[in-house]
Amino acid sequence: MSKLTVGRRSILKAGAASLFLAGMPTSGFAKGKPPGSISVIILEGGMDGLATIPPIGDPDLMRMRKSISPEGYLPLNDFFGLHPSLKFYAQLMARGHASAVHATAFPYTKRSHFEGQNIIQGGGLSPFSEKTGWLGRALDLAGAAGRSLSLEMPLILRGHHENDNFYPASIRGSGRPSADLVEMIAMGHQMDAAQIFTKVANKSEENVQVPRDPASLAKYAGQAMAQVDGPVVSVIRVENFDTHANQVEKGDTDSGRLARQLVVVDDVIAGYRRGLGKAWDDAIILTLTEFGRTVAVNGTLGTEHGYASVGLLAGGTLSGSGIVTDWPGLSKKDQFEKRDLMATIDYRSVCAACLEKSLGLDHDLIASQVFHQPDLPRVFEHLFA
Amino acid sequence: MNKQFRIAQRIGLMFRDDQDLPQDMEAWIGLQLQAPSPAMGIANTRAKVSEWPDELQPNLAKRAGMWRRNRALNDQAREGKNGQDTEAARKANIRENLMRSKDELKFVHRNVYGADQVKLRLTAFWANHFTIGNTFDTSNIIGHAIDEGILAKLNGSFSDMLYGMTSHPGMLTYLDNIHSAGERSEHAKHCRRRKDCQSGLNDNLGREVLELHTVSVAAGYSEDDIRGAAQVLAGWGTDFTEELSNMRKNTGGSNHWNAYKKRWAEPGTKKVMGQTIPAGRGGLRKLTDFLANHDHTINHLSTKLCQHFVSDNPSKDQIESVKLAWHQSNGDLPTIHAQVFKLAIAAPEAKFLWPMTWLFQVIRLSGATYFKGWEDFDNYNDKLMSSKSVLEELGQSFWSSRQPNGYSNDKAEWMSAEMFERRIRFADAIYRNGNTRLPVNKIMDRIGVAEQTRVLVTSVGASPRDQFITLMCSPELMGLEYV
Repeated sequence: MSKLTVGRRSILKAGAASLFLAGMPTSGFAKGKPPGSISVIILEGGMDGLATIPPIGDPDLMRMRKSISPEGYLPLNDFFGLHPSLKFYAQLMARGHASAVHATAFPYTKRSHFEGQNIIQGGGLSPFSEKTGWLGRALDLAGAAGRSLSLEMPLILRGHHENDNFYPASIRGSGRPSADLVEMIAMGHQMDAAQIFTKVANKSEENVQVPRDPASLAKYAGQAMAQVDGPVVSVIRVENFDTHANQVEKGDTDSGRLARQLVVVDDVIAGYRRGLGKAWDDAIILTLTEFGRTVAVNGTLGTEHGYASVGLLAGGTLSGSGIVTDWPGLSKKDQFEKRDLMATIDYRSVCAACLEKSLGLDHDLIASQVFHQPDLPRVFEHLFA
Repeated sequence: MNKQFRIAQRIGLMFRDDQDLPQDMEAWIGLQLQAPSPAMGIANTRAKVSEWPDELQPNLAKRAGMWRRNRALNDQAREGKNGQDTEAARKANIRENLMRSKDELKFVHRNVYGADQVKLRLTAFWANHFTIGNTFDTSNIIGHAIDEGILAKLNGSFSDMLYGMTSHPGMLTYLDNIHSAGERSEHAKHCRRRKDCQSGLNDNLGREVLELHTVSVAAGYSEDDIRGAAQVLAGWGTDFTEELSNMRKNTGGSNHWNAYKKRWAEPGTKKVMGQTIPAGRGGLRKLTDFLANHDHTINHLSTKLCQHFVSDNPSKDQIESVKLAWHQSNGDLPTIHAQVFKLAIAAPEAKFLWPMTWLFQVIRLSGATYFKGWEDFDNYNDKLMSSKSVLEELGQSFWSSRQPNGYSNDKAEWMSAEMFERRIRFADAIYRNGNTRLPVNKIMDRIGVAEQTRVLVTSVGASPRDQFITLMCSPELMGLEYV
């Protein structure tokens, strides 16, 4: 059985900011709204945590994965490095505005993308057990709205009727429908569809031109969240982390498929930073991915589906930078099923801490109502103390 | 809705105004399943419907040649050679050698004009089941897989379709199998002696064949089973840029659809879910036959077919009846499909339509053309978008980059404000620029809409445009329930 709760080793928070300039976080809460905001970046495909934040101090890393470990990593401390694609994120770390949680996962060990994606969005106890998402349920408890930057309404945000989505259209030969017409159409539909048409009517007069790349969407989302009546939650998806082949370019471990996708993640975080403006001080950004990848490299300069990975956090609400982990080790005996990085921190606890901080909800309420896991460990002080 | 249209909405694409309505729908379904499926379309928006020209439907060998030429000319463009770095040369290269736009337009034409509407719905279902995402390297052959791997195999067994799609170069490329070598293969051994060579197994396709295409996670297979499947698959497929002559020498295959690199194959027998699979080229067929007839596969696919055509929550009895047809016919697709359609016709509740299905039905019901003809697909038109853009905007294209689980049959995945806004916008675009031939009243009379639909349409006023949008976005035409 995998170890999903904080184990015998205490969580260690290895300071990272010492290598960079220290910054001065400021604070200030908006009134009449939850104390902060949460932006979730869903990394689809299963991000390789061991390449994103390589544990360079672990002697087994280079033994197991020399051919895919980024040579040009940025050192964070004696034990961890940062992938060279994450340049903006590194600057945030230097200012005390970014942390990472390592060797962490949702409690799902079967290595299916689609079950895993359902678990990390639904937040249920088993795959496909939830029709709503953990963020949606939390927003319903907090009475605040969230927005997805996507054509569809992702599972993670379902469960609260105020949530909506935005994705810029580019349709020639048709005009924006009048709100009156759409409201009339809504009246012909039954409740769930009528609610959706009403949302279309409410925004049918807007004419927003936003490029569709994830970084531009993040900036737009950040701007919306910075408004007094804006959403307090946003969700963006970045695809293509399923690096079975050519995770790195032959002969250049700093480039390749993973490096390219991490640049997108870095740009998304930078986009949020720019869009949020002063609201950055109350913001938290976190990544979600369905699983990490095998410790060993496969035959095609890639990695197969694994278990634990890393979660990237950023935002003005973090109390200093660091790598939060209870490092399990990489030797065969330390691996999960002799192939994957073991999870020692339940990532639901990290999500719960972010909800507690941003939506002002009580941990026990989140544990029982959002994650249906009343004994979910609280890791709040490791991130926000 | 009257019977013909109700059935056509469920399992087909609706009747165009120039198509006669069949009197005996059950017989019509049977004929549909057996009928030939020429690719129908239009040369331009004023032309009569006719068959797509042969020269726009190249076979696999020609597509491979075009792909090689495209890559070679791209290299020349980068190096500034042979005048290939001009805008005109680049465009000519795309026009002559890349198939995506042509294939995608052919697909939408078929769906707008084809008389074989039931087969086209089945094609969409199975093309989605065997998703080949666009990784660019797959873009020249996705259309080939849909035509030859799915549509052409609808009248055979599921075993044949599974084997064909697993070994299709599009699938082998999409899920990385072309790079995978057995760890004890000659290639891997040779590779280990060299410094700059990396070789070994990649389990991507083996995993998804089990999880998505056949038995599903409900079967409870292990990582060893996944590796076993990957070992059976090792050696299958080759880079599409490889010359046919080389390929014949290296693989013993006669074309890219049966390319098997013996030197990359894992020697010895393999075990997958208790089944022993022999070494060699024949191993894959043994594996896919075993999986195609597995109880978990039959259960998984019977359920999925019901969810797509019958009900969001099909009953146990409904699923059992499809499983029975599957067992009794040894996986004969026409028999299985006939049972699914029987259930679909009898189902009382509405069935939500995928965006692309809805779009094709709107165009057909209004007698519109909307999409450009094949002579015009390169020509910019400020009213008519390319088929690529239309399907992208709708959020559903078989040529998009996406995950191997394909598009969801769960209505919840398609219920969002942006998705609904797209329906309104496209109804508008079709009304304004699609060359519709029937006014709203005619359409409503012809299909015999429900009273609620009529009331809704008249409630929005006298504007024919508003009425058209309202009709097409009514619960009845979207496949939703009334209050």
